[in-house]
Amino acid sequence: MSCGNPHEIDCREVLGELWLFLDNECNHERRELLKRHLEECRPCLEEFGLDEHLKALLARKCGGDHAPDALKQRLRQSIREIMMRQVLGAEVSVERSDDGTVVEVAISVERHAWPAPER
Amino acid sequence: MGADSSELAQPGQAESSPGRAPEKGTEVVTEVVTEVATEVATEIATDGTPERTTVPPPDSADQAVENQGVEQDPGVQETPEQRTARFERDAMPLLDQLYAAALRMTRNPSDAEDLVQETYLKAYGAFHSFRAGTNLRAWLYRILTNTYINGYRKRQRQPVQQPTEEITDWQLAQAEQHTSSGLRSAEMEALDRLPDSDVKEALSQLAEDFRMAVYLADVEGFAYKEIADIMGTPIGTVMSRLHRGRKQLRDMLTGVARERGFLSDAEVAS
Repeated sequence: MSCGNPHEIDCREVLGELWLFLDNECNHERRELLKRHLEECRPCLEEFGLDEHLKALLARKCGGDHAPDALKQRLRQSIREIMMRQVLGAEVSVERSDDGTVVEVAISVERHAWPAPER
Repeated sequence: MGADSSELAQPGQAESSPGRAPEKGTEVVTEVVTEVATEVATEIATDGTPERTTVPPPDSADQAVENQGVEQDPGVQETPEQRTARFERDAMPLLDQLYAAALRMTRNPSDAEDLVQETYLKAYGAFHSFRAGTNLRAWLYRILTNTYINGYRKRQRQPVQQPTEEITDWQLAQAEQHTSSGLRSAEMEALDRLPDSDVKEALSQLAEDFRMAVYLADVEGFAYKEIADIMGTPIGTVMSRLHRGRKQLRDMLTGVARERGFLSDAEVAS
């Protein structure tokens, strides 16, 4: 597993920690030790390069999708409706059309006057 | 949504306290809050260190109702209008990211939309308990993941692949051999030539837990501790999933690159 050259730490150990290094999950001292090894060991450096490459590739190609505008609008509307129900204690529906925004508020006063309805 | 919430919540917790007739609006919000609170409460009971978690636990719904107007949590003092404004300002800009993650989870745009919508409504309902200054992105991902695992996945038609994993093997398994120089750079170049769709497809082939771990680490850049909180697993499990997931991905992508003729057999280093 070792490249045959003398190193502070064995290649096997380094290869086992490459991802910790790449994920920024090892402490400063360990990081420096691994860095020194990678500078003097070409095979480990190549392995490191490929892992680094894979990580960057995933970041570049697997994110960045955009949520549909309809979803954003629907969510904002639902949230506004829930908020208004909380504020007014009433049934509220919000509708948007080309003519503007229509807010319907239905307050049922007897809800407070009668015992709790069966759920 | 109502039926799902009570189905997911602990017995007895989904119901409102007896003798109190909640207004219709409150009822909806209380239900989702209870559900999120129950999930987090379970987790706290398990690991016993809530103060160290990155993802802040929402207060229990009952507490939140009782504490209204009491100077305890800054979120509680807010009017619904202020809270809504804060939610729209802080949480809504993260919608695209959450949607992308939901797409990787569900592998289907319309399922992803539903999942994100449910997640955001739950998050809004529990937003009073979110502590400002803590990690909102991780908190939202936590709700997304819980929503997906606890309710959503059950309804999905695609069978779930269960990964076989051992927590301790991640480091040993990494003990790979060096290969001769030159091959690695050929492999790198080949990977670069793959179209986005191939890379996304390869990721979607991974078992769900591996896929999420890799996505959260490599696309979203979360730390291991954050991923552990989001997925509700120990850090060792996260590392194991990452290791295995990445190894599988690399093998898959190298295979695809070879199929596409970007890499000759002699150049495949393994």
